[in-house]
Amino acid sequence: MKNAIRKTMLVTASTTLITALAGCGGSTTDEGKENGTPANSPVTLTMEYNWSTPNVDNTIYKERIKKFQELNPNIKIEAQDIPSAQYRTKLRTEAAGNSMPDMFILYPGIEMDPYIAADVLMPIDEIMSNWKDILPEQALAGYKVNGKQYAIPTKMTFVDIVYYHKDMLAKAGYKEFPKTYDEFLDLVKKLKDSGVTPLAMGNKNRWPMQSTFMSAVGDRFTGSDFLPKVNKGEAKFTDPDYVKSLSVISDLVKLDAFNADINTMDEVQQQDYFLQKKAAMTMTSSTIDAKFRGSNSDKAAADNIGIALFPAVNGGKGDPTASAGVIQYGIGLSKSLSGAKKDAAMKFLQYFYQPELYQTLMSKGIVVPAKVEVPADASPYLKEMLALTKNGSAPVFDSVMPAAVKDVLENGIQAITTKQKTAEQLAKDMQDAQDKSKK
Amino acid sequence: MHVLKRTGWTVFIGMLPALVIYIGIALVPIGMSFYYSFFNWDGLSPMRYIGLDNFTSTLKDSVFWKGVGNNLIMMATGLLGQLPLGLFFALMLNRGLRGIKAYRSMLFLPVVISAVIVSIIWGMVFKIENGMLNGLLELVGLGSWQQDWLGNPKLGMLSISVAYIWQNYGFYMVIFLAALQNISAEIKEAAVMDGATGWKQFWYVTLPMLKETIWVTLVFAISNSFRVFDLIYVMTAGGPAHNTEVMTIYMYNNAFQNMSFGGGSAVSMLILVFSLIAIYAANLLTRRSQ
Repeated sequence: MKNAIRKTMLVTASTTLITALAGCGGSTTDEGKENGTPANSPVTLTMEYNWSTPNVDNTIYKERIKKFQELNPNIKIEAQDIPSAQYRTKLRTEAAGNSMPDMFILYPGIEMDPYIAADVLMPIDEIMSNWKDILPEQALAGYKVNGKQYAIPTKMTFVDIVYYHKDMLAKAGYKEFPKTYDEFLDLVKKLKDSGVTPLAMGNKNRWPMQSTFMSAVGDRFTGSDFLPKVNKGEAKFTDPDYVKSLSVISDLVKLDAFNADINTMDEVQQQDYFLQKKAAMTMTSSTIDAKFRGSNSDKAAADNIGIALFPAVNGGKGDPTASAGVIQYGIGLSKSLSGAKKDAAMKFLQYFYQPELYQTLMSKGIVVPAKVEVPADASPYLKEMLALTKNGSAPVFDSVMPAAVKDVLENGIQAITTKQKTAEQLAKDMQDAQDKSKK
Repeated sequence: MHVLKRTGWTVFIGMLPALVIYIGIALVPIGMSFYYSFFNWDGLSPMRYIGLDNFTSTLKDSVFWKGVGNNLIMMATGLLGQLPLGLFFALMLNRGLRGIKAYRSMLFLPVVISAVIVSIIWGMVFKIENGMLNGLLELVGLGSWQQDWLGNPKLGMLSISVAYIWQNYGFYMVIFLAALQNISAEIKEAAVMDGATGWKQFWYVTLPMLKETIWVTLVFAISNSFRVFDLIYVMTAGGPAHNTEVMTIYMYNNAFQNMSFGGGSAVSMLILVFSLIAIYAANLLTRRSQ
């Protein structure tokens, strides 16, 4: 029995070798089959992505994968769709267990560092010339480490867009969104008096306030170079500017600005709560613009929703026109790919990130980091969003700071909203966590 | 003698598959966890031996102790809420009322429902807006008592306890019911002859006969209370600000959110130690009263 198995293995191995040689120096493959040359032998690539929510862009990506397989019948992509909340954990665990898929969604910045350190990613520099005309340097920066490119993004997500119902603001006496923080607080008071929730937030899962809200508010007070400086030890969270940014939360809590169930509502409920006009404003990512306006079947309601950025603060060091943005959905490749599998994966990337992808995304109202022509059918909402976010991007907190610090901030925000902690205490806790994570 | 010897072997061979599975999915992972708990490891970079640092830093963390406190609340909820309620319903059902099957299934239903669904149901009960509990309070004229039941740091654990009792009393009810039905009618008749009825019968006859069963349910209630995770995770995710966090959630956040597998393993070892201590204490208590 054992002997028989060994024999088959030997035979398979030698045929593989022969077919590989017969392929005229074509890339050797460990997946080669007995019949056919490597050029048209079927290849299967495993892939993992977190496109499980019914967002418009997720559907586009999946359709593109399907189309690629139709055009390349000899390449099969076996994809697993994993909910975002579990995605990072799963990939990380697989990497730890040495069983990463061939292709996977890779988060940029600090999330990518451990993979770089463990040397499990394959650089894609050899195919980068494909995009030299449409992808500017800054759009690629998040996926570039030590001069090597590891992935390219599909879209640009601005996490801190303030959406507001124009008629509700008008009722409170505001024709347009306030330009300064003091006016903003005034608006909050007037909205509260008129009996609506001023600002809807669903912070049960903790990240929305940290990522969406504090990325923008922090940047207004401290400027965009603050977080990198903290990482280098040149600045501290206990610096007065950052403490002031944290006390924005307690200012708003004092005014009852948020919905009372801020800590038990999640981010999707938050969007619906706003759409139902129970709140005058909400803050969430630019991706949600499609749900709020672009694909909203109620045109009047869609037109009634305005977008803005968090207002300027007195004495703030940040650019009040900057929005906190992050690039998303770069597909990374496993370093273990070789031969036909590697070629197939490179071919897939070249197909996937065609200018056509970016244009389709734009026509659905999604901001992309690529310099492609805005399609004729792009909605006015997208143009409005592009104009609002054109002044460069500020860092998003969780793409820059270590997980332990993020964790302290997230729980600290909940503690401030339930009046168990002050801004000063939280700033100190964050700095302690920062010092500890450096060790 | 000969037969006995042979049965011993057959029993062992029969148990072997289960034993292998048990060792593979229970004992080996515990051993691995124990090993990891001495390392600083994020899953990707090389593991670094740090001795007992994971344990000392966990034991120094006030959030961990908050979790221990909340676990004790869960334990008390199990022992003082689920067990008496389970016994109460078992006694009711044991009296053989009409439609007993329907009642039995109804009361047992929460045990069958997945914890995630239970959490979602109770999340809807405790909601602020259009929440059932707040609606009920409004209806009976107690509108001023309306609350953010889960989001309020003082009430969060209490609200979760109610859901936890509802979820699990049926499990103990079935165990008690099985035990009650095993008490033979003759004993009851004899008790009645001796003049023991109602409370007296329960106190001097039924309860002592349930002693072994109670011991089993105690162990279940204690170990379940240390394992509770999904119920709380779905309702509040341990929030707001750690107020409803239990040790398992603390472990999950440590290991998988903050990517400190060593730290998480250390916490899981502590959970094991704590539950063993609690079960041992329960053992001592029941032995003493015997």
